[in-house]
Amino acid sequence: MTPSPENEQRLARTIDRTLRELPARRAPRSLESRVLAELARLEALPWWRKSFVHWPLPARLMFLLLSVGLAAMVVIAGIWGGAGFEALPLRSMFAQEFTWFDNAASVYHAIRSFGEIMLRNIPPLWLYGGLAFIAAMYAAFFGLGAAAFKALHAPNNS
Amino acid sequence: MRNYQDMVFSTAARLTGNDTQAEDIAQEVFLKAYQNYSHLAASPTAGGWLKTVATNLSLNHLSRYRKRWRFFSEFKRENDPADAPELEFAAPDTFFTAVDAEDRRAIIDQALAQLPEHHRVPLVLFHFEDMPYDEIAKRLNVSLAKVKTDILRARTAFAKILTRSAAARERITF
Repeated sequence: MTPSPENEQRLARTIDRTLRELPARRAPRSLESRVLAELARLEALPWWRKSFVHWPLPARLMFLLLSVGLAAMVVIAGIWGGAGFEALPLRSMFAQEFTWFDNAASVYHAIRSFGEIMLRNIPPLWLYGGLAFIAAMYAAFFGLGAAAFKALHAPNNS
Repeated sequence: MRNYQDMVFSTAARLTGNDTQAEDIAQEVFLKAYQNYSHLAASPTAGGWLKTVATNLSLNHLSRYRKRWRFFSEFKRENDPADAPELEFAAPDTFFTAVDAEDRRAIIDQALAQLPEHHRVPLVLFHFEDMPYDEIAKRLNVSLAKVKTDILRARTAFAKILTRSAAARERITF
């Protein structure tokens, strides 16, 4: 049996009247103190942790200058790269300052070679076992997520 | 702040159906109001501004929460009573006869909180915020037909809860 339009309209009117007669709910007593405490916390923040509009004028100007400088450097580097960049003179110029980079690159290559050797020598059974373990963990966490949804969220919506 | 805190909290509480979330949203509303204090201090529409911000923040909060759980919430639940086809429900002229104002308020707020979100939110926007159907559809990013169906079902579900709660309260009173 479907609802009749007259009944629907009467129900809509009754609910509208019931809800409009409802006084506002009283806000918790803690609300005012929470707002004031949060305002005090925000006021106490150093300027660099506030939004840009609250920064002092010299800091804002410096930031803008730096941004423009960085943008210009990126554009120049782009043009330079496009025109055919000669890396060798720069490399020899900065070689001493960047010796640590060569060391880091050697360590990276050593770790990579070790990983490749390990991967070649691991028995296939271990690899498949590992994949199966990852799949099982994924399914378990998926199940946990679904259970958490049903227990914590779904009851409010049914 | 004292003049508006009940209105702001009520707006958020009725939309979210959760007092803790409503308090967080009300706090955010007043922090935004503080940032705009120079405009709001002498404005005659400060109340409207606060209500609009409270509504927007509540809807944003609900939308964020919904997205977080969307993956799991898309599992269709069998026999969901909230989505069942409508049955005839004889609309009464009033839900309350021998219930005092304070109990009435509590019953109505509890009934609203019991409604599922996809029923409560359009119902509150339509009846409390005077938002038309098309505006609700736009805000909730759903079709106009869905909004109309949800509000229709929400009214029936709300009326059933109210009738049941009011009858129980009257029995306790007598």
